[in-house]
This record gives sequence, C-alpha cells and structure tokens, in this order.
Amino acid sequence: MRPWPFRRAPGPGGLEGDADAEIRDELDLYLELRTEELIEEGMTPAAARRGAERRFGNRREIERRLRREARRRHTRDGRWTMGWSTRDVMYALRGLARAPGFAAVAILTLGVALGANTAIFSVLDAAVLRALPFADHERLVFVNGYHLQDGQRAIRNASVPEFRDWRERTRSIDPMVAYDPSGVTLSRADEGAERVLAELVSEGYFDVLGGAVASGRFFTEDELSTPGGHPVAVLAHELWQRRFAGDPDVVGQTVEINERTVTVVGVAAEGFRGATLSTELWLPLAMIGIVGSPDILESRGTRFLPVLGRLVPGATVASAEAELDEISLELQALYPDAHEDRFAQVRSFREGYLGTTGDLLWVLFGAGALLLLVASANVANLLLVRAHGRAGELVVRRALGASGGRLTRQLMTESLVLAGLGGVVGFVLAAWGLGALTELVPDGVLPAYADPVISGRVFAFTLVVLALVGIGAGLVPAVRSGRGDLAGALRGARGAVSGGRAQRVFVTTQVALALLLLIGAGLLTRSFRAQLAVDPGMEMDGVHVFRVELPSSRYPDAEALRVFTEQLTRAVSVVPGVSSVAASSDFPFRGRSSGSYVAREDDPETRIRYHRHSVSPGYFTNLGVELLAGRFLEERDDERAAGVAVVTEAFVRRVFPDAGSGVGRTFWIGNPSNPDNLAEIVGVVEDVRYRNLTQDMMAEPNSPDVFFSLRQVPSRTLEVSYRVAAADAPPVARVRDAVRAIDPDLPVFAESTLREGYLQQTATPRLAALLMSLFGAVALTLACVGIYGVLAFTVARRTREIAVRRALGAKAGDVARSVVWQGVTMAALGAAIGAGGAALGVRVLEGLLFSIPPTDPVTFALAAAATLAVAALAAAIPAWRAATRSPAEALAQE
Amino acid sequence: MGGSDLFTGTLDILVLRTVQPGPLHGYAIGKALRDRSDGVLSVEEGALYPALHRLQRRGLLEAVWGKTDTGRRAKFYRLSDAGRAHLDEETARWREYSGAVGAILDGAGEA
Repeated sequence: MRPWPFRRAPGPGGLEGDADAEIRDELDLYLELRTEELIEEGMTPAAARRGAERRFGNRREIERRLRREARRRHTRDGRWTMGWSTRDVMYALRGLARAPGFAAVAILTLGVALGANTAIFSVLDAAVLRALPFADHERLVFVNGYHLQDGQRAIRNASVPEFRDWRERTRSIDPMVAYDPSGVTLSRADEGAERVLAELVSEGYFDVLGGAVASGRFFTEDELSTPGGHPVAVLAHELWQRRFAGDPDVVGQTVEINERTVTVVGVAAEGFRGATLSTELWLPLAMIGIVGSPDILESRGTRFLPVLGRLVPGATVASAEAELDEISLELQALYPDAHEDRFAQVRSFREGYLGTTGDLLWVLFGAGALLLLVASANVANLLLVRAHGRAGELVVRRALGASGGRLTRQLMTESLVLAGLGGVVGFVLAAWGLGALTELVPDGVLPAYADPVISGRVFAFTLVVLALVGIGAGLVPAVRSGRGDLAGALRGARGAVSGGRAQRVFVTTQVALALLLLIGAGLLTRSFRAQLAVDPGMEMDGVHVFRVELPSSRYPDAEALRVFTEQLTRAVSVVPGVSSVAASSDFPFRGRSSGSYVAREDDPETRIRYHRHSVSPGYFTNLGVELLAGRFLEERDDERAAGVAVVTEAFVRRVFPDAGSGVGRTFWIGNPSNPDNLAEIVGVVEDVRYRNLTQDMMAEPNSPDVFFSLRQVPSRTLEVSYRVAAADAPPVARVRDAVRAIDPDLPVFAESTLREGYLQQTATPRLAALLMSLFGAVALTLACVGIYGVLAFTVARRTREIAVRRALGAKAGDVARSVVWQGVTMAALGAAIGAGGAALGVRVLEGLLFSIPPTDPVTFALAAAATLAVAALAAAIPAWRAATRSPAEALAQE
Repeated sequence: MGGSDLFTGTLDILVLRTVQPGPLHGYAIGKALRDRSDGVLSVEEGALYPALHRLQRRGLLEAVWGKTDTGRRAKFYRLSDAGRAHLDEETARWREYSGAVGAILDGAGEA
C-alpha cells in the first residue's frame, strides 16, 4: 500500500467553519482543471470556462447537497449516544473554568439540593421502602385492641382470654400470636445482674415472624401450653455473644431470670430480635409467673399483650378488620363488662412500626424534591444568562458551520457536567448531613430496623435524579441556543429581548415553590411552638430518674414492697447533692401507666376511664407540681388509713363538674359493692402533661389522672426520681451505690432525666420544623438569586433605554421604582401561584400539626409577606445600579 | 439529474474501483471515469461530488487535503478498509448480476 504522506485533514469534529470553504475549494479546483483540459483540447479560455461550468451542472444545487451531506456527517457524529465524547466534557470543563463564579454558584446550588435529597432518600429508603426484617412481611399485621370513647380509639393491648377468643374466631389471620415484652433481670452464678428485654410468647410466634434457631430449638407445644410448667428460654444471638461469649455449650445450661432458674433450650439465628426488634431472650407466655402474677393468664380485664399475625391468602387488612369488628360485637354480648366499647383494628407491620414517622418522611421527601426543582430552575436560569453572554460566540460558531444539534449537545453537556459536579458535592454533603440527621433524630422516631446509609440504591437514585436535573436544567437554554435564533441573539446585544420570558417563567416558578416550602415550614414551626407553649405543669430541670423492678421472690407481698420503698427513698435522700426524692409507679413521658374506670359514689353507673398512678408523699413537690386545693399525699396516708387520692383539675372538671374544688368528694375505684374501693379526694393539683404534650385532658381517650398513695397502692415497678442541687454535677453514681447497698442484686436501669423525656416528646416536631425551615430558607434564597439575576440582566440590557429616559428627564427614583416593581410583580405572581398550590397541598401536613389548622391564615400571610419583602430586597440592588448610573457614561459605553 | 438507485449504486462502485490503486482528487476521479467509460456514464459531471461526500460519510472513502503535481491544494480520496471490503463484495455481486442478465439476454437472442 502506498504511504499516506499528506497532512491529516480536520476530522468530522474539527472546525466545522471550514466545511463551506472546503466545498468551494474542492469544486473550484475541479472547474479549473476541467477548464485547462478543454483549453488543451483547443477551446478559447472563455469558452473553456463556460464549457466546464455547463458540463459540471448546477453548481449551487450541488453545493447545497454537499453542505447537507456535511451536516449529516456532523449530526451522525454528534448523536447523543454515539458521539458523546470526552472532548465535549473537556470543552465543558474548560468553559466552566473560564467562568468560575458561575460554575461555583451552579455547582453549590445543585450540590446542596442533591445532598438534601440524597440524605432524605436514604432515610426514607431505610424506613419506608426497604423490606422489614421478617420473611413475608407484607402479610404480617398487628391487631390493636382499642376502646371506642367519644369517637376516638384508645389503643390498649389484649388480655390473654381476649386474645384466645380472637384467635379461635378469626379466619382471616392465621396464625395469630401474642407476646408480652417485659424487662427481666438476668444473672448467672457469680455474675452481676442485668436488665434485658424479654418477650413471653404464645404458640406459633417464631413461625409467624420467620425466626430460625442457630442452635438448640424453640419451645415445644407442651412448654407453651402448661402454665408455670417449664422454665425454659431461648436466647437472641446477640445476647449469647455478649453475655455468654458465644459458648457453644450454652444449650442445656441454666440462668437466673428474675431469680428463677431457667434452662436455655435454644439460641435464635443472628439478626432475629423478635417483634420489638430489640428482644434479647424469649420465654413461653405460660411462664408469665416469672414476670408477674400467674393469675393474669385468666384475667379478662388485664390487657398487656400486643397481638400480631399473618393474613391468610385472600384476606386484606380491611377484610380482617371487618371480621374482627363482628368478633368484637360478639364478645361485647358475651362479656358486657370487660368488653364494653371494645374493638380491634388491623394494621400492616409497616404502618405499625412507622406510625406518623412515615408521613413525616414522605413530607420531607416531597419538600426535598421541591427544593431540587427550585435549584434546577436557578441553574437553568444561570445557563440562560450564560448562553446570552456567549451569544456572540455561539452565533459565530453557528455561522462557521457548527450544526444546531452540536451546539445543543455542547450546552447539554455543560449542564450535565454541572449536575455531575453538583452530585459530587451532594454526596459529600449527604454523607455529612446523614450523620447530622442521625444525631438529630431522637431514639424511637425511626423504627429499630431502619439504619440509613448511602447504599447502592441510594446512589442509583441520586444518579437518576442528577441526570434528570442535568437534562432538565439544560434543556431550555440548550434548545434555544441550538435552534439558533441567531439574528435575535445578535440583536440581543443591542437591546432586543430574547430569552427573557423563559427566565421570568423560571423565577416565577421558583418563587411559587419557595413559598410552598415556606408555608410548610411556617405551619410546622408554629405547631412546634404551640407544643413548646404547652405548660407541662412541672419544673423540668434538675430531676433525675431511674427504675427498679422488685422480684416477687424476694419481695413477696405488699408489706415487703412498702418496706423497700421506704428504705430506698430514705437512702437516696441522704446522698450528698440530692435535695429531694420521690418514688412512683410510673413517671412522666416514661411509658404506659395503667388505667381503669372510676365512678362517683353517688352515681356508680357512669364509669369514666382514668390513669392510675401510685406516688410517694414527696412526689408533687419533687416535680414542682402546684397544689390548687386541699393537700398533697402525706406519710399518714398509709395502709391503715382510709383510701385517699389526689386528682388533677381535669379530673374534677370531668367527674365532679358540680362540686367546686372537688376536695372531700368520694368515688369508686373498681367494684362499687366493696366499701374498701372508695377513695376520697384530699387534694387537687394542676394538670400535668403526663403522657405527651399534645393531649387534650378533657377528651377521652386521654383520661384524667388520679394519684394514690404508694403505701395504699404499692407497686413492683418503682420509678425513683430525685431533684439535684447542682445540675452540672448530678450524683448519679452515688445514688446507684445507695441502691446497691440496700439490695446488691437489684439492677438500676432506664436512667434518664425529666428534661430528656420532655425533649423526646418535642424531638419529632422540632426536627420536622427545623428541616422544613432549612429547606424553605434555601429555596427562598435561591429564588432571590433568581430575581436578582433576571433584573440585573434586564437592567444591563436596558442600559441605553434607561440612559435615554434619564437624559429626557426621568428621575432616578422613577427608574429604580420601575425595576423594583418588575421584581415584585414577578414575585407576586409566583407567590399567588405558590399560595394556591399550598392551599391545595397542605393537607398532607394535617397529621403532623398540633393546634394549627393546615390552612392557618397567619402562616400564609407571613410567608407571603416574607417572600415579597425579600423579593423587593433582591430587586433593590439592580434597581439602585440602574438609577445611579450617569446617563452620559452609560450612553458613551454603549 | 436522473440518478436512479441502479445508477447511484453503479457510480459508487465505479468511484471505489477508481481509487483502488491509490488516492486521487475529485477531478482525477472524474476524468478516469469519463476516459474509461467513453463518456457513456457522463451525465452532469458535478454529480460526482455528492457521491464522493456520501461515500466519505459512510466511511467507505477517507479524505485528506494535499497538493497536486502542480502544487495546487486539493482534496484526495482513498479507499478505507470498509470501502475495500464493500468494493470486493459489490464487484462480486455485480459480476454475478451482469452474468445472469447477460446469460438471459444471450439465451433470448438464440431463441
């Protein structure tokens, strides 16, 4: 083959501007040579030239065809999928490097929005989208018994007989199982005691949840059905590792649980933690005597069991619930007392674990998406402005033969490169934000199975979003430039407006979306503030609390409990740094209290549910609860004295609305036939927000509170609270020592403070308000940048017009006003659209709001006012610039 | 210009065949075609160029700018690997085709 000695011609991707010239050169040469040929054949030069041209044919037509051919050549190379070369990316990178300010703003904008979306999606994915850690979890349901009171459902667990009735009668749920999550004290010979979470389970429990054993076995039918017969336990893998160092011979060994000797029969497979998701060991429900009185297996009114099961094929949550409604009516007829107003609802596992957290996550996810739209619009706008700035360059390149497709592709590449770089920033921010978010989210808000990480799925999600944003933001600018409104673009340099409308549409959209987010943020913030404004009725700071559980083996009766309680409070009260101490059966914001019915002595038929607490005399002063009438409980209210009670103001309003302060009135607790069941009100205290801050005390199911004397109604569970003199140096360790001195085998657990419990209560609304406000603020800032950008751009292009107007006598103020007015009208249109959208959309927030209606006019008005004010501010800078520029100077420059 | 498919396809093969020995510029290709076909195929001479550019776009021809013997700047075309394969294939098919047509025409003459 012959060597190829020629300089390589510019390839298809070369300077397309040469294409036209090349075509002309090539054809010229042909005609020249052909003319020479004809001259050689004897023609005159002029005739030869004409002859060559005639023989050549229609030159213009042929040139046109060649140009079309050249364009097709480029388009083919430039097709999205094929010719998308590193060269384009490098070109885009160089372009961005030449405009570092533009690049930084665009990348940061996209980075923040992508980061927020990535972080939120990883939480959503972990909590809502990912499979639950149970086989076939979609068919698993919780069955929540509830009392229907004043149209509201007061969820309350099931009693053993009730559970058996449900299980026998239902055909939709099979198997149906019950479990009792209970803290127990675990100890082994010579080793310290420790509190662990146990589940006492009914038959079929492990089957339903898909649990497997790592060694040994689960419980036999005999073990599950013989009350008190078989003290056996199954350990969770984690407990086996932690406490037994993975001892391979653990099956068959004995441990002490609540001071009962129990034989380990099996170890569950790793990762199986029961329905609580954190269970450490299992016992048969038939062994309930280990944690309480064995009598409750037969007590229809003692409702302590959560119930779950698997829907049979064909059954749905709704059909199962309909069936349970019928069963409930049947049981109400059979047991009119114990089943009064009693029903049951069915909820999917997902819903059961998530509660309102699912709603919150979707709302935040939606908010993140809106923020991303605002950011994309901003970048689209920046690209438009940039395309305008480069209009000259683009026109020249187009004239030199670059195809429209090629320019479009290059601008799209630039937008995608921006999105890619934004994505890099986004991932860094997301990793950091996820850490911060995990810190912010209090325990118990996310279900235990949810462990948000930036997984492969999250990564893929972000990549897809990133591509969409890159294409979306680049589309309008790229297509506009590619379409090559060349003349218009050139004129643009001299005052014609092109692209201005698209910019305004973007900015208006931004303002609308930003206002939407601001309204959401405002509603959540006002709701949160409303919760903070609720007076919990306690002095929150400096109160520490811990829990002990007195085993029936060593504290067999009421007297033993009384003696221990006495000793304990005295021992803690003398610890240096402790200023007061109290004991109680339960404590504010720390789980369930028990409830029952009361009735007035003069009206035993009208029964009202209440929450029962047993407290020591120092309880109210310790918490800082105010006495409204009568007296607090005192030492003299002991087992020998008549039954007394301190009640809340709400209790008096509800039970004795006719009786003034209520002091001295008597009511039945339990069976009205036994005079021992009468209690007299000796004191009335202010309302205490015992369970949560948002309850309405007057409305069921948040029944009012009654406090009995711990001496008259003793408790095996003791919450010991003490107020410390110096909050910064609480004597926690010394208090623990004091307990150990009385009973070295009694674990002290669940140590916390009253303030922590309160913070836990407000953590979710705080988080919701905080994140929404953050999104709203970022969106508003971006919208402002958008307004500023458009106006600055317009002012720059109207320089001449403004200068002429000024020269003709327009005042600086008039000019400034017109510019600000332009910004405000854009913002006002956006705000109107945003407010309209919000009015339609805020319903999604309904479940998350406390005492603020979703259409709260104050929030709407404030958010709109803030948006317009900030918009005016954003318009002020270009306005000032337009107004202060000297007309002569402006004209001279033009 | 009456460029039927047959004509287009034929012109393509003839162009490819012409540059098979080595690179030529457009005029040289045109002249070679005119000379060898005794003017039978010459329609509009300019029609050669769209064919050249189309072949270049399809990757059958490669093009470079160089100098002619007299030192003039000219665009030279040469056969690419794909073009060479295409030419072989089309030549074989053309022979087969023209052989078949010839056999029928010859046979018809005898009948």
